Amino acid sequence: MYEAVHAHPDGETTVARHAATAARYGYDGVVVRTGTSADPATYSDIAEEYGIDVVDAVEIDAGDRTAASGAVGSRRPDHTLVCVVGGDDGLNRYAVEEPRIDVLVRPNGDSGGFNHVLAKAARDNGVHVEFDFGPVLRATGGKRVRALSDLRKLREIVTYYDAPHVVSANATSHLELRPPRELVAVAERAGFDPEWVRDGLRAWREIAERNRERRSGAFIEPGVRRGRHEETGR
Amino acid sequence: MKHLPKHLRPRWRYVAVGLEAWPDADVDRRGFQRALWYGAGNLLGDTGSADAGLKLLSFSFSDGEGEAVVRVRHGHLDDARAAIACVSEVDDDPVGIRIRGVSGTVRACEERYMGRAAGSSTQRDVAFEDADQTAVVRGDVYDVRVGSGYVGAAAFDIE
Repeated sequence: MYEAVHAHPDGETTVARHAATAARYGYDGVVVRTGTSADPATYSDIAEEYGIDVVDAVEIDAGDRTAASGAVGSRRPDHTLVCVVGGDDGLNRYAVEEPRIDVLVRPNGDSGGFNHVLAKAARDNGVHVEFDFGPVLRATGGKRVRALSDLRKLREIVTYYDAPHVVSANATSHLELRPPRELVAVAERAGFDPEWVRDGLRAWREIAERNRERRSGAFIEPGVRRGRHEETGR
Repeated sequence: MKHLPKHLRPRWRYVAVGLEAWPDADVDRRGFQRALWYGAGNLLGDTGSADAGLKLLSFSFSDGEGEAVVRVRHGHLDDARAAIACVSEVDDDPVGIRIRGVSGTVRACEERYMGRAAGSSTQRDVAFEDADQTAVVRGDVYDVRVGSGYVGAAAFDIE
């Protein structure tokens, strides 16, 4: 199971500390979402040091779809995993209709809603919808109640159309990370099926593995790859 | 009062909890107990938290690291796990929390999961991101003082 985190300077904890903590908590990998001062080239060293996979990702937080589209085009080639921060209706709509995007994160961020049209588009384009448990773990009172009811609505729509999903605690520091079992227990209290939540945590890995294969030199297009097949003399 | 016959006594599980916080955090037993009860009350409701019967049995915390034993009614472990995970701050200090394990007796819980502190922390000057900073070092972890707050780093980040 993987977890997606915000690393320093976007968060309060460096990639290495996130990796060390996540490894101790029993995760198989961390997805580093945004703006880190560490060079992504060091990720493999960190992965080796702490025995945990480290995935370089980018989280695009644009004001509108034009800006988001430009950012996706320019940053897609450099990162294994591309997330777009949702929030308003236009951005959510754009994100689910763009197959180059892997994950739509925080679709309920601001005023944004999610409906059957977006769920179908997400399913057809293979864009994963994120279930952000951050507010459930850290907010209190009315804010938490709203977050829970948004998650419930999102779950009903996403499961009905069988759109792909990911689950995260959206941690900005190592203190906000929670082990997978605890995260599943919280989600279960909120009405989620435990196995479905675990699938959401595993989905990060599936996306990362698929994209790594696509970015490798052997990949031509889906179903076509360059192998090491020597022609035998005939 | 005469104590209950064995089959009527409640059965308990003992949860070993590991805590982490920034080095300047002041987390005490009373504050943690309050956070735990409020967390359970908010997540499980009055009836649910009464069922789970969370009680803090032992607690220790120093230098940004601590551990606790929490008593839980048998069969409500998942509820308790969720409630404990929802403790995100104690007296406005953010805390990281994880369940190290669960035992059937206090003694087994303490022998198996307690006393794993990484040792005392020391203050040291370190080179972090091309600048000299002060850091609180505990084993492999470095909490680097940057500006008014801390940045969580590991030995890997320190040049």
